[in-house]
Formats: sequence, C-alpha cells, structure tokens
Amino acid sequence: MKRLMTFKSILWTIVGLAMASGITRMLFGLGAITNQSDATPWGIWKGINVVPGIALAAGGFVVTAIIYVMRRHEFSRYSKFAVLLAFLGYISAATSLVVELGLPWLVWHPVIYWQPHSALFEVSWCVILYLTVLFLEFVPVPLDETHWFSGVRRFLIKYKLILVVLGVMISTLHQSSLGTMFLLTPEKLHALWYSSMLPIMFFVSAVAIGPLMVILAVLVVSSLYGRELEREKLGMLGLISMGVLVVYGLIRIIDIAATGKLLLVFDGSWQANIFLLELVLILVLPIIFLAVKKLRYSTAGLWIATISGVLGMVLNRANIAGIMLVQTGNLYIPTIYEIFISVGIISAAILGFLFCVERFKLWETKWEDSRQEPNAQPEFDRSSEVYLGAPRLAGRTIYSMIFVVSLAFGFAVISSDRLYSHGVDDVIAQEARGNGILYIDGNRDNFGVAFGHAEHIKRQQGADSCSVCHHMNLPQDKSSQCSACHRQMYTTTDVFRHDWHASPTGANIACNMCHTPGEEKQKSSAKKCVDCHLDLYPENAVNTFESYLTVSYVDAMHGQCVTCHAERALSDTTKVAQARCPACHTGSLPHYLKEDMRDKLRQPGLSNVIIPKSDVNLELKQGE
Amino acid sequence: MQEFIDFCRGPLFRLTFLVMIFGLIRILILDIWGAVEAYRNAGDKNLAWKSAFIKTIQWLFPVKHVVARRPVYSLISILFHIGLIVVPIFLLAHVQLWKTSVGIAWWTLPYDWANYLTLLTIACSVALLLGRALSKTSRTLSRKQDYLWPILLLLPFATGYICANVTVSPSMYQLVMLTHMLSAEVIFIFLPFTKIAHCVVMPLSQFVMTLAWKFPARIDKKIAATLKKEGQSV
Repeated sequence: MKRLMTFKSILWTIVGLAMASGITRMLFGLGAITNQSDATPWGIWKGINVVPGIALAAGGFVVTAIIYVMRRHEFSRYSKFAVLLAFLGYISAATSLVVELGLPWLVWHPVIYWQPHSALFEVSWCVILYLTVLFLEFVPVPLDETHWFSGVRRFLIKYKLILVVLGVMISTLHQSSLGTMFLLTPEKLHALWYSSMLPIMFFVSAVAIGPLMVILAVLVVSSLYGRELEREKLGMLGLISMGVLVVYGLIRIIDIAATGKLLLVFDGSWQANIFLLELVLILVLPIIFLAVKKLRYSTAGLWIATISGVLGMVLNRANIAGIMLVQTGNLYIPTIYEIFISVGIISAAILGFLFCVERFKLWETKWEDSRQEPNAQPEFDRSSEVYLGAPRLAGRTIYSMIFVVSLAFGFAVISSDRLYSHGVDDVIAQEARGNGILYIDGNRDNFGVAFGHAEHIKRQQGADSCSVCHHMNLPQDKSSQCSACHRQMYTTTDVFRHDWHASPTGANIACNMCHTPGEEKQKSSAKKCVDCHLDLYPENAVNTFESYLTVSYVDAMHGQCVTCHAERALSDTTKVAQARCPACHTGSLPHYLKEDMRDKLRQPGLSNVIIPKSDVNLELKQGE
Repeated sequence: MQEFIDFCRGPLFRLTFLVMIFGLIRILILDIWGAVEAYRNAGDKNLAWKSAFIKTIQWLFPVKHVVARRPVYSLISILFHIGLIVVPIFLLAHVQLWKTSVGIAWWTLPYDWANYLTLLTIACSVALLLGRALSKTSRTLSRKQDYLWPILLLLPFATGYICANVTVSPSMYQLVMLTHMLSAEVIFIFLPFTKIAHCVVMPLSQFVMTLAWKFPARIDKKIAATLKKEGQSV
C-alpha cells in the first residue's frame, strides 16, 4: 500500500510541475519555456511523447486482433488492458501534440480543410478516427459501473469485432504513415536510421513491441496491487511478439546491409554507438529473454524483456524523430520545463491507467481474495480501532496537497525574464543596392537575392513596363523603390504620415483640408491620398491598392516576384524551375558585393535568418 | 542582502502566494466534495437548508450572536478582520507592485486611512492575544497555533508600518523589509493548511455541521463490527 502511495505521489508531483509549465506555454507561447528556435522547431515532445507514444499504443490493436480476429481467447483477459493502454497512449500523444502546436481551438481544422498532399493530413485523420474507435472500444468498461446507457454498452460489446477490425485497419495506416513522414527527411536524418523501408519498419516494430507494452503494464499492476501473475499466458504473448521482432530485426539488418551502410555501424561515432545500443535494447535482449523457455516463463525474464524492448522502442523513435535529425549545426538542448511537460504527460497517463485499474473491472476474472482488491483498504486502524476515513478520502487529501504544492512550485521556478518576449523585431527595410543588377537585402544580413533589374526591364519590353512592378509611387516620383513604402522588414507600415501633414514644419495644412467639417475626424471620412496627389498611381498600374497599411518588405517582395514567376511556370513548361525558391535565392552574390560582405561577416550579430555558415564560406572561396 | 530581498520578492513570493491560492481552492473543493459525498451517503436526507443558510449569513456578519453576548470582544474581532483583509489588498504600495509586475491595478486606500487601519489592526491583535491569554476559559480551549497566529499576523503589519512611516538607516530598512516579506510569506504558506483556511470554507461550515448529524446508512453495523459486537445491540 505504501509503495503505491509513494509511486502515485511522485507522479502527482511531476504532473503538478508539468501543469505549471504547460499553462505558461499556453499563455505566453513556446518562447517562454522552450529552447526551440527557427532552426530546431521540432522539440523534445515529438521525439519523446508523440512518436514513441503512438508506437507503444500499438498493443491495443495487436492484442485485440490476436484475441478477436485470430480467436485466441485465452488472452481475452488482457483485451481491456490493451485497449486502455492504446487509448491513454493516443490521448497523451494528442495532448503533447496540442501543447506543441498551440491554438487548441483550431484542432478540428484537418477535418474541414483538406490537404491530401500532406503526410500529416493522413496522420491527423488516423489519430482522429482511431481515437474515436478506441473510445468506443473502451467506453463499455466505465459504463459497466453504472446502469446508464446500458443499451449503448450492449450494442458496443455486440459489435466489438467491427471496432477491432476498424482499429487494425486505421492503425496499420497510421503506424506506417508515421514512418512515411520521415521519408521527407533524407538529408536531415542520419543514414543509419533513414531508409526507404521506414514505413514498413515502423509498422512491424509497433506490432512487435505493442504486446510487450501490454505485458509490462500487467507486470506493473500486479506488482503494485499484489496480484498473482499468469506467467504462462504472458509468456505465450511474449513469444508471439518475439516472432515479429525477429522479422523486424531481419528487415532492419538486411536493409542496412543492402544499402551499403554496414561500415557506418562500426565506425565508432556516437551515432553508431547509439545505433548499437538501440539494437541491443530492441532486438537482442528481448529476443534472448523471450526465446529461452525458462526465462520466458519467469517473472524476472518478462520484466527484463519488456523493459528493454520498450526502452529500445522509445530510443528508436526518439532517434528518428529527434536526436538524429539535428544536422543544422544549432545544438538544441531542451529546457527543464520541456522535460517537465514531457514526463508530466506520461505521468498523467500512468495515473489515468491506475485510476481505471482501481475503479473499473479491468480483469475478466474476480479477485480470489477480496482483501486484495485495490479498494479494500482498512477503514479502521487495526491496533487502535480508530476510524481512518474512507480510503479514497485519504488519497484525495494527500494527492491534492502534493499536486497543489508542486503546481505552485512549478510556477515559482519559471523565471519571469523568460515570459516576456520582444515580439517581432522592428527592422527597417533598407533599399536595394546596385544598378543593373540590384541586390535585394532588406535587413542587411547578406543573405539576399540578386535581382536582374535591367534584364527584367528588357524582358518586360521597354521603359513603359515600370508600372508592372512599381505599382505606386511617392508624390512627384516616377518609380519609387520598394522600401519607400514597405518600410518594415517583417511588419506592416502605416505609410500615411498624419503628423507630418499637420505640422507647421511639414505640409502645414489645416484640418479641414482633408477632414470634412462637422464630421468625425476619421481616416474613412477624410480625403483620399489620390485626391491631392494625382500622380501616386502610374498610368496602366496593375495594382491599385487603396490602403494606408503596406505589407512587410518580405511579403511585398515575395508577393511581387512569386506571383509572376508562378504564372510563368504554369504557362511555360520549360520555365517550371522559376517558381522554386532557389530560382532567386541562389546564394551567389554579385561580385561587387563580395568584398563588402567579407567585412560584414566579421561583425557579430548580423544574421536574422539562420543559414549554415559553410555555404557562405564556400561561395567566398569560389569568388576569390 | 539585496539578492535575498529580490529572491523573496520574486520566486519565493510566487511560490508562497500560489500555494495559498491553490491551497485555498483545494480546501474549498475538498470541503464541497466531502459534503456532497456525505449527503449522498446520509441515511436521512432531510437537511435544514434554510436555517443553515440563515446561520451562515448571521455568522458572516456576526452581529446577532456575538455582539449581544461579548460586545467588546466581537467589536475588536470585527475590526481586526476588516484591517486584516482591507489593508494588504488595498494598500497603494501593494497595488503599485501588482501594477508593475502583472499589469493590473485597483482602488486604493488613502495614505492616512491605511496608517490608522494598520495601527488599529496591530492594537486589535494585541488585544485579542491578551484576551485569550488572560481569560481562563479561552486558555483551556486554546492550542499553540491560536497564540502563534495573532503574533504572526501582527509582524507584517508592524514592519510594514515602520517601512512606510519611520525613517531608518538603509541597512535597517532592508532588514525590516525582509522581515515584512518573510513573515507575510510564512502566513501565505501556512494559511490554507491551518485554521485560517476559514476565510474560504467559513460559508460552508454551517452546512457541514448540519450534515455531520446525518449518519451514513448502515453505519451502526460498521460501529458494531469495530467494537466486535456484531449482532448485539450497541
């Protein structure tokens, strides 16, 4: 009893700390508590919670398929465990995804806004559908406690097979599509983990480790609640899982060998060592402990096999979805708050699991000794015969106390400096340099675009073509530069200078020159710019915006160039490459800027955009 | 010294203040939860709702019951409670701290009023402490925390008054300020777990007391089982 209470107290402490960090993240944004950046926007929550969580939840569909589809009814007492594990695994994965993404009120968007080209579109649909299936599979268990909705309960139990088959179908899609997602990262993921077989590997390993997770849950419950283990049945389940593990191991090793990566495995780098550790944990140890008959049916053997298999699985998914993705040169080390949230979500899932074990009839069989029931705690102290209160009351008092204190502690340790971000930097866009070839580099970080201005004039046929791009000009000007109105690099600018117009040192005009007397002095009721400045829009202007707010310099440049380029790419099949980013962002600089740039690079703090420095150096060497 | 003051003003204040807020919410929820559970288990579900409600109102503004019997004590107690609640919440210096840190502000007490109320609260707490120590009936009913709480509550008021009104040397000022903050933080952290939690559960106490007389159904069998007298009349 005391062991259970200590265990739960630790879990509640972590949940409290995580709740504080999570609320701070939701209120103040990712920057307040995480070390994620534009270079590593993919944090620890994906690598530790989402991807491994989904994989460990695979027990739900594997075990139910073994029981109901393959008709191995001797395992039927573990079906509720498996479904509960899958349900909690998916909920915790979805929760951590929501914490990572933010804006939880937009979570229904993939249902309405379809993007069938996206791998994540399939993933999100699978999560939504499978969560629904799992809910329907699990809900008869809590309904068993009440007499409400007994019709619904009977209906769901009667048509359980349909739900099981649906679960298998959706899980097959989902487990493999998680692997598919990492097919997008051939140049980011380390070669030992990247493989075109990733979808198949993800699915097979999930099928193998899923039952091991169910066995581990049964082991934990029986050790916490003093329940007798049925080692023969657990061993048999382990044997099935071992068979799949052998298949998984073969696929993995043959894939490594066939793609010529065997030498990488033994090159002694830290990645290779982690790879070997992963293989030992996920393949070698579980296969040995489940293959030897004596070890398979022993409690210690089951513990070692399941723990090592589950750890190996987490390590594998964490490697693919995080550790081995870091190739950008920026080291990402998660903050303590990110770790709190990560561990806290797992702790909350374990607490939910224990809650269900204590309150619902998860075991198909009755307790042999009623005193061993989790709820059957003494209501009276055995020696003094003092009434101790209902056991639930005692638990409630202790756990809420621990939760409250750790929640407050969690808020207290978050430094107030982290809470206030500076927001978007106020960067004034600088004008493009050059003459025939303009170098567009608004924030002067030396990562810009060489724009063939003269060439574009030639291509647009002559000097009359200015208005195609110069859609609006300053008063008494023919072709004002972009930065004249799009003054801010990343934010909108108000181009109308009211104070300057009204000031005696500026335009020095009276209020009633623009505002109609007697009406409220608002922009909407005042004169338009073009009422006085007749030459704002050039003749044949393509765009005639009537707004005082200009979009940011970055958006203006992209809008101007990409619109035209995309049209050309569509109409002319030989110009498809025009619409791609590298068509303009070539990285090569005009020769007259290279000298200038070498000096600038020596000054620290210039880069707003993170681009690997090596490219720039390479470019410089070629220039020399 | 300054670092320690900053620590007390920053993380320690956040910790203790949030422990107080969350702890009070917790005790309120636990109380309501326990009462609902007791009501569900009660054998006799006829509760005197109306009289309990009236009693709650009467004890929230304890004019009828107390003033008639112990007028001086009740007057001092009421003044003490008013000072205790009003001064820390509506003091200008405190509201300014809230405004600079969190960005919210509210109505504040005039400077003189705050001073008078502070002195009044100090005087009341001394009087209550003396009254408890000198009366024999009170002495027999009192526990250690009953003597400690008035002293603890007096500390931040006294030090706060010194900080606001008395000119002292800077190092002395820091020491007094530190005492002021630390004593307040000790109050915060113990508040939800001791009798001071009555500041939120007080409105419930009459209902709980009414419920306490409704025994759970079949409790007699449990009592008999404990006394090992099953089947006999207890």
